[in-house]
Amino acid sequence: MSNEIYRLHPVSAIITTIKALKSMILPVAIIIISNGFNFSFNFHSEHFFETILLFGVWGGAAVLALVGGLIKWRTFVYWFEDGELRVKYGLFVKKKRYIPFERIQSLNYNEGIFHRLFGLVKVQVETAGSKGGKPEVELTAIRKVAADVIELEMRRAKSQVDQHIEAGQSLDSTHVEEVIVPTIYHMSIRDLLVLATTSGGIGVVLSGLVAVVSQFSDIIPYEAVFHELSDFVKVGAFLVALTVMLILIVAWFVSVMITLVNYYDYTVRIEDEKLIITKGLLEKKRITLPLNRIQAIRIVENPLRQLTGFATVVVESAGGNGETGGDKKIALFPLIKKSDCLQTLAELFPDMNWHPEFTRSPKRARPFFYRIDFIWLIPIIGAGSYFLYPYGLLSLLLIPLTILLGVWQHKTAGYMIDGKQFTMQYRLFSRITFCMEKKRIQSVECTQTYFQKRKNVMSVKATVMSGMTGMTGNVPSLEQRDAETILSWYEY
Amino acid sequence: MRAEPIHQISRKGLTVWRLYGVIQTVVLIIVAAFVCYGVYYFEWPTFIYFIAGAVVLLSVILSVYLFPKIRWDRWRYEVREHEIEVQHGLFVVKRTLIPMVRVQHVDTTQGPILKRYNLGNISISTAATVHTIPALIMDEADGLRARISELARVAEDDV
Repeated sequence: MSNEIYRLHPVSAIITTIKALKSMILPVAIIIISNGFNFSFNFHSEHFFETILLFGVWGGAAVLALVGGLIKWRTFVYWFEDGELRVKYGLFVKKKRYIPFERIQSLNYNEGIFHRLFGLVKVQVETAGSKGGKPEVELTAIRKVAADVIELEMRRAKSQVDQHIEAGQSLDSTHVEEVIVPTIYHMSIRDLLVLATTSGGIGVVLSGLVAVVSQFSDIIPYEAVFHELSDFVKVGAFLVALTVMLILIVAWFVSVMITLVNYYDYTVRIEDEKLIITKGLLEKKRITLPLNRIQAIRIVENPLRQLTGFATVVVESAGGNGETGGDKKIALFPLIKKSDCLQTLAELFPDMNWHPEFTRSPKRARPFFYRIDFIWLIPIIGAGSYFLYPYGLLSLLLIPLTILLGVWQHKTAGYMIDGKQFTMQYRLFSRITFCMEKKRIQSVECTQTYFQKRKNVMSVKATVMSGMTGMTGNVPSLEQRDAETILSWYEY
Repeated sequence: MRAEPIHQISRKGLTVWRLYGVIQTVVLIIVAAFVCYGVYYFEWPTFIYFIAGAVVLLSVILSVYLFPKIRWDRWRYEVREHEIEVQHGLFVVKRTLIPMVRVQHVDTTQGPILKRYNLGNISISTAATVHTIPALIMDEADGLRARISELARVAEDDV
């Protein structure tokens, strides 16, 4: 085993600096805008002092960021020893961190635009203990070849362990190097379009627009706008409808663009018991996830997708970072035809039953799905009808809608136990099918309110490990006998 | 019908919960006194007196008498060889089952009031959840902690 010491690529100094500067842009922009661009380098101007202060502080911070970036690059070293990845960094306080290869949960490769210019890659190493969504080790920028070395070392360490166990077997590390990697899922452009259209992305973009507008509320002359608006409404409902249409189309287009940039060339492959997800147009990402680290699988179908026969498959994993830091839920298949998804999942996880027959919630439990909502509905309707008299009465429509939703939720609620597998199905709006193995469930809880007790029904919650906090599935109002069956099944 | 877990928590636990209720009520009385002074001084409407009085009275009835009683009656736990089962809840009865192999670590904690009564809370952590059995007699809590950690040691490595 070579104890060669590796360093980061020099560009990493620049990348670290830019990252630090990027986080300062927003506050600086806010200060500049709130000051109303009243800057002056003229000594006699009243804004002179503010300007000097602002630019001085900002400039100082920028210099500090650059020095920090340089120091990090100069001091950061990593090497492989005794089946561990070891890193050392720090100028005054030296930090060392040793990570055994078998504890590594996931190895993520990220190629930002900067990285791609120089043929570099950012490597994030994560273990189950990664705190607050931060990876345990982050190699800001190394050459792709160097990144491959990490994987090679990991594999070599593993094969050496194997050799210890089975001394007779000759495993050549160079032989393992190239494996045929079957693609199990790939998203076409058409899929991306459907994904962008049926996801909540449009809503996000719209609320983003609102947020931006409200940020600039000081600048926008609302009174003038409203004045114009009232004229505008007079011109005709047609124009209003047209504008709304236009805004929706723009929002849709933006959401398609965002999806396209994030999910372009989304591919899932499987390689010696590990899932490898690659995606991204400008910034290429690669996430590695060991299959045996997957805690549970959720199939999520929002109403729109359920109608069109599509679903999203989410895997819950104990470590293994998704795209954003805090979120450890990885959308394995962001969008997939339900029938294909079941087939693919059956191939991936052959031990599990992917065609469950659910035991549903009993008929007498139906009122529990909407009755509780009346607690907040009645005051809203009362207040709405009273204060906004004629139109407020429209809020009465909420009652049948709530009851319909409740009935729908009641129809969806169900569970199945099959050998070592527990599957729950329930919905708030989206239908969620939550599949977990007995050995992955952290705890099971049954809850019963006073009213449920009278009707002999019970709700069941099961928690699996996911990220830092765990993920809980909740089937409301099952037959009490069924809930007790689940508890007994979960007992040793 | 599934049998309830067998053990109840210590009778002294009820006293401690009542004491918590008393403390909460005292805080409420202080707040109410300030409000009443405000009513007197600024000549706010007099019905506020009645509201303040009702809140204090309710707090005495509910958080000193009724809630601790219901909670105490409801609380059950059982530590078996392969799992821990607890039942608790005020309006909603919750029954939780935690397998021994899932237990990551066990803590006992004791605040000043609990210490006065020689009681302790025991918290059982799994990788994703934390479950607390409150107000156990300290020796019992320590014994339980030792037993759980012993039983939990026979664990496989799944998370």
